Amino acid sequence: MSKVVVIDGNEAAAWGAALSRPDMVAVYPITPQSSLVEYLAKFIADGRMDADLMDVEGEHSVLSVLHGACLAGARTYSATSAQGLAYMFEPYFRTPGLRLPMVVSLVNRDSVSPTCVWGGQQDAMTVKEVGWIHMFCENQQEICDTIPIAYKVAEHPEVMLPVNVNHDGNYLSYGVAKVELPDQAVVDSFLGEKNVNWHACLDPERPMAVDPLTGGATGAGPATFVRYRKGLCSGMRAALDVIVEAHADWGRRTGRHWSPLIEKYRMEDAEVALVTIGSMSGAAKDAVDEARLDGRRLGLVKIKTFRPFPVVQVAQALSKVRAIGVVDRAVNFGWNCGPVFQEVLAALYHLPLRVPAMSFIGGLAGADITVEHFSQAIDRTLRLAAGELAVEPVWLNEND
Amino acid sequence: MGTAFDTIAFKASACDGCGKCMTACAEAKQGASRISIVSGAGEGRFELSLCRQCGDPKCAMVCPAGALAKDEASGVIRWDANQCVDCLLCTAGCSFGGISVDSHTARVAKCDQCDGDPACVKACPTGALEWVTAGSVFKKYGDREDMFVPGLSGCQGCNSELIMRHAMRKIGRNAVLATPPGCIPGMGSVGYNGKTGTKVPVFHPLLTNTASMLAGIRRYYDRIGRKDIVVMALAGDGGTSDCGFHAVSGAAERGEKVLYVCVDNEGYMNTGMQRSSTTPFGSWTSTTPVGEHMRGKTQDAKNLPLIMVAHKCAYVATASTGYMEDLYAKLDKAVEASFRGFSYLHIYSPCPTGWRIPSSKVIEACRMSVDSNFVTLWEYTREGGLRFTRSPDRPIPIRDYVKLLGKYRHLDEAQLDHIQARVDEQVALLRMMAAEPVAAE
Amino acid sequence: MMETKYLIIGSSHAALEALRAIRQADRDGSMTMLTRDGHMPYSPTILPYVVSGRSAPDRAILRDETFFAANGCAFVGNATAVGLDAKGKTVALADGRSWRYDKLLIATGAAPAIPPVPGLDGSVPFHVLRSLDDAMSLRNAMGAARRAVVLGGGLVGLHAAENLAEAGLAVSVVEMRPHVLPGYFDAKASGRIEAAFTEHGVKLFLGRTVVAVDAPDGRSCTVRLDDGGAIEADLLLVATGVKPVADWLSGSGVAVDRGVLVDDTMRTNLPDVWAAGDVAQAKDFHSGTQALIGIIPTAVEQGRLAGMDMAGDSYLKPYAGGVPINTYRFFGRVALSIGQAAADGCGEVAEQEGGGYRRVVLADGRLVGYASVDEPFDVGIMGELIRRRVDLSGCKEDFLSRPLETGRRLMSEGWR
Repeated sequence: MSKVVVIDGNEAAAWGAALSRPDMVAVYPITPQSSLVEYLAKFIADGRMDADLMDVEGEHSVLSVLHGACLAGARTYSATSAQGLAYMFEPYFRTPGLRLPMVVSLVNRDSVSPTCVWGGQQDAMTVKEVGWIHMFCENQQEICDTIPIAYKVAEHPEVMLPVNVNHDGNYLSYGVAKVELPDQAVVDSFLGEKNVNWHACLDPERPMAVDPLTGGATGAGPATFVRYRKGLCSGMRAALDVIVEAHADWGRRTGRHWSPLIEKYRMEDAEVALVTIGSMSGAAKDAVDEARLDGRRLGLVKIKTFRPFPVVQVAQALSKVRAIGVVDRAVNFGWNCGPVFQEVLAALYHLPLRVPAMSFIGGLAGADITVEHFSQAIDRTLRLAAGELAVEPVWLNEND
Repeated sequence: MGTAFDTIAFKASACDGCGKCMTACAEAKQGASRISIVSGAGEGRFELSLCRQCGDPKCAMVCPAGALAKDEASGVIRWDANQCVDCLLCTAGCSFGGISVDSHTARVAKCDQCDGDPACVKACPTGALEWVTAGSVFKKYGDREDMFVPGLSGCQGCNSELIMRHAMRKIGRNAVLATPPGCIPGMGSVGYNGKTGTKVPVFHPLLTNTASMLAGIRRYYDRIGRKDIVVMALAGDGGTSDCGFHAVSGAAERGEKVLYVCVDNEGYMNTGMQRSSTTPFGSWTSTTPVGEHMRGKTQDAKNLPLIMVAHKCAYVATASTGYMEDLYAKLDKAVEASFRGFSYLHIYSPCPTGWRIPSSKVIEACRMSVDSNFVTLWEYTREGGLRFTRSPDRPIPIRDYVKLLGKYRHLDEAQLDHIQARVDEQVALLRMMAAEPVAAE
Repeated sequence: MMETKYLIIGSSHAALEALRAIRQADRDGSMTMLTRDGHMPYSPTILPYVVSGRSAPDRAILRDETFFAANGCAFVGNATAVGLDAKGKTVALADGRSWRYDKLLIATGAAPAIPPVPGLDGSVPFHVLRSLDDAMSLRNAMGAARRAVVLGGGLVGLHAAENLAEAGLAVSVVEMRPHVLPGYFDAKASGRIEAAFTEHGVKLFLGRTVVAVDAPDGRSCTVRLDDGGAIEADLLLVATGVKPVADWLSGSGVAVDRGVLVDDTMRTNLPDVWAAGDVAQAKDFHSGTQALIGIIPTAVEQGRLAGMDMAGDSYLKPYAGGVPINTYRFFGRVALSIGQAAADGCGEVAEQEGGGYRRVVLADGRLVGYASVDEPFDVGIMGELIRRRVDLSGCKEDFLSRPLETGRRLMSEGWR
């Protein structure tokens, strides 16, 4: 039977992981992830979770031991943040290429420098091109539910890609809320039997060379390499449908229906839309409601699945509005705007008519993005709809 | 595969002429001793007369009675007392006095190696006589399946290839093998996509994460009850001692049940002979070149195996292909230890290309590195501490070893003195750890 | 016409070593060994032991059919070569068959040399001892005989004399030279051996030649000596030496002196024809001239070199020359000799006589010969010192006082 608890986001993630029955959990502590791995260690110590706990000497090895275990056939889990992800980058980059269906929570944190230990999505946004699937959670319940869903997606034979389940540091990691823990039997039947290394394994009973040299200036080498790269893209494309199916399946089994790719909030007749990602979406929806009370036709599109980017869904959702404001918790240096904004622009290019859009950046380094901040954003987006161009982003916390 | 046999080796420098070997032999054979120690040239020097169990035994060739023949299994030249007609022609065939008249019986007598357990060796108090089992090692493993395809593209005379082939012949198919970037996969063991050079599951870890990946593999196999798989690396010195050290150290600290073999060729040879932290002082490399302002590496090598001792691994040992029986004995122990904890085997491996030595001199370089104490052969267990498995009583000067290697050609006297001093310090430290007396010079 | 790549005529030590050497360099080339003998290979040296009963005839065999099968060599017995056509590369056999070869080794050995003495032309029955059949025939005759005369005091003669004496026969030995085993031992050494024979009741007629042998009744015979003496015998053994079996080569173009002349890789003067063993007249180590040294060690060495050269083995090193060797057991005692041990006037001679006797001959500070009686030494080591011409001037005192130890020491040092 499911049970209701009041827990923070990190514990919700730990429960999501524990219910997914990974064989191996590798950990290295980092703020704001630390309590998550402490929960896992405690679960294992208390016998509530049957997994090998590997306290290794750094995030580089966290992912490396999981690579080994996964190639041997294990279901694996870990979590990290910011600098940990940076240190993990070498094996991180390799994971999707090896098509290892792992799940790693990113407890999003802004990355140094300046030195900072608080929330922000700079970590995830910096690795968005690597080939991991990225899903962003809005609240503690969604964190707990999304982790089993992530395994279902990752291990789907058409996908076979690693998944980062993101939840915001501080606001979600430490924030407490009511969470209904799914019943173990429900999760078990949802996930089914694991098969993580049918494609590449290190097993004396199936000897093979894993990751041989592939490439070269001429001949079959580089062509083979192209096949691998295109295969990864196919996995990403297939994931869009698989993610939708998995969320639907989860909804049928638990009664909780999360929007799989994007959530459209009051978009039916919206003239102006906000686009959000992660935990900020709650406050943003309040601001939308307030604007509606004022008679303005506001709507909101929340991005749950950022990789693969749901291009069609985003473009269609936004095709009928007159202006769009995209709120980011990270910076795209070079474009000097929000990274989600940049992605949304790219999706909009597929529409026959140009829809003006602008970038808002807020919530960096742990800052709250309040309903007031979103109201400012709504005002500015309305002016955009009226023809006031905005090339530069608006930094929402700049004058706090 | 050819044939090789165990043999009784004699180290003249260690013999004090006590004669216990002869007494033991005479007792064992109830007659004249088959081994004879004679005075050598000069006071306190001794020489040996003993059947060499020749591959091409002239004693047998000249025998008119078919009484002498080389035993195919043991290599011993067997004397058949019933067939022998006592003509003594065999004594004319032997150049070493290995078969001669036993005055007790008035018949010939010769060494039969006491069926593989020679009494003389057991009686020798100084180690001058040694029962060398490299031959049976060679025979035992020579016929085993080679786990690598023929035609790996190693350089001519590559010692690492020798190590790979020997190690995997011994370990067999029930293994998972990591070969981090370097010469070992570079010569095609993991292979090009679609083709592999290895018959066991093999992979490129990252240069930096070999020990960690292995730890993950082992833990999972242990979890599902497949505890008999050897999970191992054949890694280079750079990936082990430099950028991958965190993983090695972490896995060792956690006691991960992994066999980690470091093949130390003293630098990044696969990428063109750059310096690593195990490159010795004075050595030329492509990043410690010899010019007007630089004369090779200016720092001493990191002693990685000693660092592993400090991790209190289940097993730590050093080895050299110059002494294969020692290497094999250690490989045995290392494999066994890898089912109990972290097992680290450091094999010194001269690189003919990068060290600028002819391929024909590689094994000689191995031997001289040990005989000069440049390389020390020892093993460590938590229970037994550190123990030398072979150490020269009268080490040859470092200069004799170093002059074999082109990468040291530029060394001046001061640099040579420095190397000798460091080698002496190192041996003194090891002796202290082994609780052996430091040689009084 | 049969064909084979390697044709070896003969089946004793030189032939067997050639086979081995060929197979080491050429695993597959067809090979055939022909022998006039009816038995599988054996050593002539074993024959006295067959006579004495020490070695049963079937146990004297050195190689069996399995060996030949395993080595890919056809073995053909009772095949006596009677002619060589070197141009046509064929060897004709007595039975009319012939063999065509690519490479031929003549290893036909030697046969008893019968002195031109009246009565030994076939009119008087006598024994020789060169083949297994000879040995068995002699052994059979021994049982019925009481008095034996042995002509020749060489190795074969003395071995046989000892056997006959041990079997209870009254034995006389006639030797034309003043001492037994001439060439191997000096007078003192020979003296010890002669004394042993005398002690065992063997009568020695030294410095005597046989002028005639009569056998009026066709069974017993009378051996008449040059001094007028006569010895009665019902068993006569002629052991006056051997001569190479080379008659069959006459007209073939192969150069023959006393034996077939060969160079340092055992090649004869004709292409693709080699000779080795007792039939060959090869370099003598001491003199450098071509000589007959009919002993096993030289046969083995020559056979090996011939085989290597025939198979094109690149490790071939030219023949250093033969060194005479004699290891002789008499009445349980030991007499050994190597090199110029009996020579006088070729260097410095050091004799030592006590319980045993030894004689060391040095020239220019180097060993050239060594003989002993009742004092065994390492013949092989002394042979190496001779062949390597090891300079002993630095350790001469040691060597002369303790030759065994010093020789072993030198070889041990040289081996490292």
